[in-house]
Amino acid sequence: MKLQELTKPWVAFNYGFLDESAKREMRRRILKAIAVPGYQVPYASREVPIARGWGTGGLQVTLTLLKPTSVVKVIDQGSDDSVNASSIRKFVGRVGGAVETEDTMAATIIQSRHRIPEEKLREDQILVLQVPDPEPLRAVQPDLSVAREMHGDADYGQLWLVLYEQLVKSGRIMQGSSYPSMVNRRHVMTPSPIPRWDVPKLNQADHLTILSAGREKRIFAVPPYTSVEPLVFDDVPYRVEDHQDKTCYRSNVTGFFMNELPQDDGSSQYELSDSHFGIKHIRKSEAEPVAIGETWYNNGKMD
Amino acid sequence: MAYVATRGGEYAIEQAERLFRSDLGPITRERVEAVRTGLPYLIDRVMGEASLYEPDLAALALAQAGGDLYEAILLLRAYRTTQPRIAVAEPVGQTDLFTVRLISAAFKDIPGGQILGPTLDYSHRLLQVDVLKGEDYVPEPVIPAAKPAPATQPSLTSWQKAQGLIPGHAAQDVAPDDIPDLTREPLLFPAARAHKLQSLARSDTGGTLALGYATMRGYSSVHPTVNELRLAEAPVRMRHPCGTVFSAGRVRVSQTEVISKARELELGFSATFGWNEVKVIAAATLDLASSQPNPHPAANEEFVLYHTEPVESSGFCIHFKLPHYVTFQSSLDALRRVKADKSADAAKTAVNEKPAARQEEVAL
Repeated sequence: MKLQELTKPWVAFNYGFLDESAKREMRRRILKAIAVPGYQVPYASREVPIARGWGTGGLQVTLTLLKPTSVVKVIDQGSDDSVNASSIRKFVGRVGGAVETEDTMAATIIQSRHRIPEEKLREDQILVLQVPDPEPLRAVQPDLSVAREMHGDADYGQLWLVLYEQLVKSGRIMQGSSYPSMVNRRHVMTPSPIPRWDVPKLNQADHLTILSAGREKRIFAVPPYTSVEPLVFDDVPYRVEDHQDKTCYRSNVTGFFMNELPQDDGSSQYELSDSHFGIKHIRKSEAEPVAIGETWYNNGKMD
Repeated sequence: MAYVATRGGEYAIEQAERLFRSDLGPITRERVEAVRTGLPYLIDRVMGEASLYEPDLAALALAQAGGDLYEAILLLRAYRTTQPRIAVAEPVGQTDLFTVRLISAAFKDIPGGQILGPTLDYSHRLLQVDVLKGEDYVPEPVIPAAKPAPATQPSLTSWQKAQGLIPGHAAQDVAPDDIPDLTREPLLFPAARAHKLQSLARSDTGGTLALGYATMRGYSSVHPTVNELRLAEAPVRMRHPCGTVFSAGRVRVSQTEVISKARELELGFSATFGWNEVKVIAAATLDLASSQPNPHPAANEEFVLYHTEPVESSGFCIHFKLPHYVTFQSSLDALRRVKADKSADAAKTAVNEKPAARQEEVAL
């Protein structure tokens, strides 16, 4: 027997960039996160070749889930073509040989920053959300050790107080994105800075959602068929952004989350935030054979 | 097809990166070599913050990043994290260090003597402008001491401990694989002592100085004295599976003990790769101050360790360049509703003359 037969040929990087011990740790943390929905599991969070705060948490999850048959979609603010999404998608392709896609229906892993696609996700798809700040209590308790104790005691009174104060001061709940939500009736989580429009998509969903904050080293999950309820008062219903009646100027589609584009004449135009969803509608209108999936919202309303 | 999916983003980032790299020009072995030999203290600082001791790679990272320190450190950290941890070196004590500089501010003279070693501390900070006119600056030759100092030097704290001035702590016997490793585990609070010192060892020099300076200047109850500052080469000794301990080389290290005189004599400690005196003095001060009850935020353990992490802090700072239009849209929606409410209220007041009680449901 020769020493050479016992060793593997030298390669610059492991498959999926992370070494196997890092992936094993990730898998264990992910399993724990799934077992305790909404609970923030600390993890080592290795450095990856993109800057912290640019999706390193999501990227570590994607790299761990990656296999050569994976089909990966990466979106940033709803757009596949955003520079950072392109960069991450390219990296995943480079180190994992994964097939890249922009079609939500074709993807097996969807890594996203700040949006959930408009087409419904299936049981065989995993949504990976990039999280800048995993701690919903940060605004009321910047000290992490104390916040962890508050989660342990399910002590969320101060979060309700924040919402109540907004109501008293402004007459409305002012929370824009990152709406604090109760998961599985136990842990309050931030759904990451997705708009309020997207939060109900997580409730009793068919798909698994993994939320990962690389810089803050926390991972949490919403398993399939788990309740996700935004914190609301009984007499003040949850309200999503008023985008029901907005029409996309490019695809003529109405009733989905839009990007507002300020115009020179002082008015606004709107375009679909989910960019590939828009492209599919345009292609369909031009009689191309395009399959558009079932959507969470129909006529601007969720069923 | 009238609509073509725009791929402008991918093209643009490709070209932007090319622009950066073409401005730097070709990176050659000579360039890397020049960085390594010409800027050893910069290499030291980068190796410390990257927690990777490899002068050639540090020089390459600096050359590749054009001298952007945070980029260089990220390059090295991202490389380091893919490397397996094949062994844990034997512990190194102060008396094992091949010491080139050892000073104490606590006593006029110390066992082994004050050894100045290489330093600019007492130099006049004058630029050698003649170099720019083509006249080389050739340093004066060093005149060796009549009797060379021994390579290793005693530890001042041993003397203080023998005097009963500082309580001794028995060294804990921990199996090498059980030593907490910050690069493989998350930092939790209260932090393990090993995690705290590891975190300070690879902290951002500037950030550590800022918080350390705030602590020294008055935002803390401790007033540190440098008990010992040491620049040295530490032997890296490995244990062979058959039990033999052998040397695998040396690494440049700095280490400091600061001592507080507030209540009783207490020590703060810091050590890092490379020779970086400012960082270890600031870090040792923060170590000392953060162990006091109810420290000021500038010396609070969680505050210090989180905010002096160079890769995390710089990454988050520059991430604000990324588009945030979805979150902005979401907040805009809430603000517009409040505005609409106000104008509706004003209109209602004008019609009714007297403010109507809010009987309708407060919608979000």
